[in-house]
Amino acid sequence: MNRVFVTGMGIISAIGNSVAENHLALKEGKSGISKNLNLFPTKYASLLPFAQVGISTNELSSKLKIIEKGVTRTSMLALHAFNEAVEDAGLSGSIISAHDTALIGASTVGGMCLTDELYEDANKCEQGSDYTQSYDCASVCLFLQQRYKMSGIINTINTACSSAANAIMYGAMLIKNGFADRAIVGGADSLAKFTINGFNALHILSPETCTPFDENRKGLNLGEGAAFLVLEKDAAEKKIYAELTGYCNANDAYHPSSLSEQGDGPFFSMQGALQSAGLAAADINFINAHGTGTENNDEVESRAMIRLFNNPPDFASSKANVGHTLGAAGAVEAVFSILSLYYQELYANLYYNKAIPSTGLVPVQVYKKMPVQHVMSNSFGFGGNCSSLIFSKA
Amino acid sequence: MMYIQHFNCISPQHNVLNNDLDLLNDASEKKMQANEPVYESIPPGVLRRMGKAIRMGVGAALPICKAPALLNGILIGTANGGMEDCIKFLNQMVQYEEGLLAPGNFVQSTNNAIAGQLGLLTENKKYNITHVSRGLAFENALTDAMMQLKENPAGCYLLGGVDELSTYNYNIEKLAGAYKEEVVSIKNLYTTDSPGCIAGEGASMFVVNNDAANAIAKVEAVTTLHSNNLNEVKDKLKIFIEENLCDDDKIDLFLSGENGDNRDLKYYTACESLLNSNTTVGRFKHLCGEYPTASAFALWLCCILLQKQNIPHHIIKKKTTEKKLKNVLLYNNYKGYQHGFMLIKSCR
Repeated sequence: MNRVFVTGMGIISAIGNSVAENHLALKEGKSGISKNLNLFPTKYASLLPFAQVGISTNELSSKLKIIEKGVTRTSMLALHAFNEAVEDAGLSGSIISAHDTALIGASTVGGMCLTDELYEDANKCEQGSDYTQSYDCASVCLFLQQRYKMSGIINTINTACSSAANAIMYGAMLIKNGFADRAIVGGADSLAKFTINGFNALHILSPETCTPFDENRKGLNLGEGAAFLVLEKDAAEKKIYAELTGYCNANDAYHPSSLSEQGDGPFFSMQGALQSAGLAAADINFINAHGTGTENNDEVESRAMIRLFNNPPDFASSKANVGHTLGAAGAVEAVFSILSLYYQELYANLYYNKAIPSTGLVPVQVYKKMPVQHVMSNSFGFGGNCSSLIFSKA
Repeated sequence: MMYIQHFNCISPQHNVLNNDLDLLNDASEKKMQANEPVYESIPPGVLRRMGKAIRMGVGAALPICKAPALLNGILIGTANGGMEDCIKFLNQMVQYEEGLLAPGNFVQSTNNAIAGQLGLLTENKKYNITHVSRGLAFENALTDAMMQLKENPAGCYLLGGVDELSTYNYNIEKLAGAYKEEVVSIKNLYTTDSPGCIAGEGASMFVVNNDAANAIAKVEAVTTLHSNNLNEVKDKLKIFIEENLCDDDKIDLFLSGENGDNRDLKYYTACESLLNSNTTVGRFKHLCGEYPTASAFALWLCCILLQKQNIPHHIIKKKTTEKKLKNVLLYNNYKGYQHGFMLIKSCR
């Protein structure tokens, strides 16, 4: 089976509009979380902190020269990151539109960032808005497909918060099985009144900036963003960021919206990723943890790490930098994991103070340079959907 | 390639094999809603909280998951997931001005809730995924199943396609001009020369593996295309047949996703024209209506037809003298833009 290399990356998040900006912000330990959400009217705008991308939808639209009708903020964030990734990998228009180039995206919100428009279109049988074909999760990739006239396999995955990790995995499988020679893989989600109210109803939104793996963590902060990777089987003479060496998707099969105490899903996804990479637990130098900052996730993830690694390697969560970007998270964090490999450095898990008593695990607290050969990246979601990826130094 | 061992479906029909068109369930109020069974396999307390898409998906899957612990994964294609729950939550949000809301509808509204519930109810901790690529969500789930079976040749997977028809997605699609303005009976679906289709819904489930011995059918290959260019669609089909069918073999049945929408007809006609004169042409949308994962229903129908070696009159558009049904080519497109082709072979 073919090997899978990462040859290009693109990202837009609350801490920067490019890979370079995100890299600098990570090194400096910056957080993009604040209480001034201004994308749409919601009573939580000034009550709860969010990680909003610093460009308005209008600015994005003109920057990306959007002339199509019904393009949502999610699709624009996706296009922004997609453009950076394909340019970084040096893919020409004809390569992007070739039949052996696949596009695999991920989203949980899709066009539902337009929550108020969706309410009108779904309930009133009068004049439809411009967005009737833009609400579903598939709309994001279909927009990219049309922009670039792509003719290869086009797919979108929604496994809640692990969506983008599974999109990366699916793209890699297409390459390994000969269904594509290269795959542009990633995810996008924007902040939405719908998800804000959903997570609020579950009582897992933190009233302050989140503090992953801290004893006194109070929940997560929602964020938005998009990230794409270019995966290629043949990367000779190209800049190679990393090799995707392992992946696994497993289910916790315990509860629709929380993880089991023993963390079977996280344990099996991490263990399966090691097996698929042919690595031992001791080979992993760093774990990019899912670490949302909720009571449930951080404790269960810690327990699963101890169960598999006994003495877990360095680990950190970037959720206090960029918030929880839901369907984009797996791709956003793949970029961060690859930056760690490429630059041989680890970034700090912000706002951690004291270890969770039952586990005693302490995340990376300051930026540091160190040799990094293999990084594991975790993404866990509702529906028990857990996925782990392993990126290795090429 | 993969083999279908078990298959089950919840559709608007009781019995698709009935030769008498009058005995089929017709559209009601321009919709073809699923004829849901009594869900005996789902615990009542769990059933009560399930939205329709989850209920249909789980209800179609459980009866064929005889030994669920043996499954190596659950792969679902669904464009919309729990659309009704999604809008119920939204309406609650507006009604209570973003006050304290019950999270149930929110959790059930995510596309992956069907596969998630199936994992939970069958205690399956293996591969679990939800493909949502609209009109090709099922084709992508099927491609995924084929790849899983290549990486794990001894494996066995549950594969399904589910989409519900709620008041809300009906409204949205109606505003987008997807449905016929006039009331049309399924008896006249293919002869009314007007834009739009009849809305449908359903859940179709398959247990698949690499074991030819006891299988009903073999899915030889699948391919997809995004295009509204007629020549590109025809070229795709030509190459697909060339690559997957031996020279001395032929397509016995072309199962076409024709849906009565005169805007999409040209693609079906063009593909039909590429086939041999001794290929029977059949249609299925009068049985299930139109929805993004209707091709999963078509694959289920294909299994039934191969098993019974008999095609009911109402399905046949063009008949040939050929008696034996061996190779079926399934072609479906969603809104004239997302095209999917599958080649299915009999194992009997």
